[in-house]
Amino acid sequence: MTVVARDELDATFMALADPTRRAIVARLARGDATVNDLAAPFNMTLPGISKHLKVLERSGLISRSRHAQFRPCHLEPAALDAALGWIEANRRIWTERFDKLDAHLRAIQATPAPGGEAADVD
Amino acid sequence: MTSHQAAPAELNLTRVFDAPREIVFRCMITPEHLTHFWGPAGTSAPIEHIRVDARPGGVFETVMVNDADGSTYPTKAVYVEVTEPERLVWTETHSGMTMAATFVDLGGSRTEVRIRQTNVPEAMLSPDAQAGFRTSLDKFAAYLHSLS
Repeated sequence: MTVVARDELDATFMALADPTRRAIVARLARGDATVNDLAAPFNMTLPGISKHLKVLERSGLISRSRHAQFRPCHLEPAALDAALGWIEANRRIWTERFDKLDAHLRAIQATPAPGGEAADVD
Repeated sequence: MTSHQAAPAELNLTRVFDAPREIVFRCMITPEHLTHFWGPAGTSAPIEHIRVDARPGGVFETVMVNDADGSTYPTKAVYVEVTEPERLVWTETHSGMTMAATFVDLGGSRTEVRIRQTNVPEAMLSPDAQAGFRTSLDKFAAYLHSLS
């Protein structure tokens, strides 16, 4: 089981709580983009987009170059992986738990009552 | 836009079992049953470390032991809702994660169990946050995977 700092995960999930920010992340998963690139498809003002980018940047999900003129936004896969990893890890735990429960339910239902006749076997 | 929106880490999982709903539900709140399945693959859940007090406010404690190296993962939770045989909700006290299990009788001795796991305590879920959960992040995850 992987343990990731809970505060970091919270910040990541908080950032991903908003549909516009999820769309921005999805766009950046295809490659870096400038604020102008990102603003166009969302029909948003630059300050509006900038606000979302600040939240994403604080969460560690994206980084912005300090030097390049248009400060392109870059997705940080590690932060996203941690968030998606939380889901995957828990899905795996429940799936494996349910595999065992399935086997257990079969076992207890197949067991004949104590002192009774053996169950019919086809 | 609210600034303190709850974080919608959410996992939804559904599984159908070939057993009556009453039995499936009892398995989830009975140490003698839990010990057989609570630990995921490669771990076990010794019965002596399972505590179940299945009523709202009651404790639900387990320890998962790694079969390979003996390392342990203790978990303490408190039941939020116990409605036999339909619904079971508990919140982990250390992580604040909430697990809700819904048991649906499909007829013919088949039971569907729906698990919803979120990383916020049930009590902290505002209506806004609950609305946010409908856009579940695991679908988003699947979408992102489809891009790569």
